Amino acid sequence: MNEESQRNLFNLFLKKGIKNFVGVPDSTMKYFIDEGLKKKKILIATREEEAIGIATGMSLSDTKTVVFMQNAGFANSLSTITSLVQLYKIPLIFLIGWRGYQPNDAPEHFKIGKIQPNLLKTIELKSKIITEKNLKTNCDWSLKQINEKKSCALVIRRLHHD
Amino acid sequence: MIRKEAIEIISQIVGNNPIISANGFTSRDLFESFEKKSNFYMIGSMGLSSSIGLGIALKNLKKTVFIFDGDGNILMNLGSLATIGSLKPRNLIHIVFDNGLHESTGSQPTISKKIQIDTLAKTLKYKTYKATTKKELENTLKKIKKVNGPILILIKISKSRQTSKRVNIDPIKIKQRFMESLNQ
Repeated sequence: MNEESQRNLFNLFLKKGIKNFVGVPDSTMKYFIDEGLKKKKILIATREEEAIGIATGMSLSDTKTVVFMQNAGFANSLSTITSLVQLYKIPLIFLIGWRGYQPNDAPEHFKIGKIQPNLLKTIELKSKIITEKNLKTNCDWSLKQINEKKSCALVIRRLHHD
Repeated sequence: MIRKEAIEIISQIVGNNPIISANGFTSRDLFESFEKKSNFYMIGSMGLSSSIGLGIALKNLKKTVFIFDGDGNILMNLGSLATIGSLKPRNLIHIVFDNGLHESTGSQPTISKKIQIDTLAKTLKYKTYKATTKKELENTLKKIKKVNGPILILIKISKSRQTSKRVNIDPIKIKQRFMESLNQ
């Protein structure tokens, strides 16, 4: 997703009432995070499970929360998602950077990138790929999910290699 | 002192403030000795009581948030000590019941006897206290009355004599009544 759309996505979330953005940085969404840092709205945790824990505390306090991470960190978090987020039905929006989407990405991302769609399906976390074109529609979809007290994921694909 | 005895002493200063209790025997002991709606009993997600407690402390400045943690639990999420220390929530009291054991899984040893969890927390900008007897715990609770958080109290406990019953409230119900309690 390009810089402008990433910044727009952050501001759209903010406008629609998301109060907290907690996560671990990912270069795939660096402009999204940068926009949040500029507005002093980002809390960076040491690990993704920790971020989900903090976000859960904020959600229990009845404030809307986005948790952002790379797909490597999403894999780290599977047990936290099943035994905390899903067990207690905590409504959170996961924003996940999809490394390894393209076959020429760095080698450490290849396997996890390949199994990413199946991982989401297997743990039954509803997800949509968010792009420049469907930004508003899918952002609204994610907000609808948490308004209905459900968790969901928006996935940003890594389309460039550096 | 066993965990349950320590919980009974601490319960006298908690009132209706929230307690986030770690999974395993910590939640089970709390459930048997001081059941209330403002307890968030964790069933799974070992290690995360301090992180959930941090999220609640940041959003509920008028409440004092108590975290009931264990040595095995906090050793799984040491990064949480660093995050809490850096954000300095004034309303966060982090209690670590330290028996040097993974008691809930069959009393396998943890490394807590070989390191100093309280010294580590102090380096990470907590105000730290240590208690090994009931008297010391009572005195510590008096001392912290006018101290701003984050506070960590390391309580050395011995292995429980009996296993407390499981938390038998549905997780969704635990969540709902906990959220209601935050608004009261």
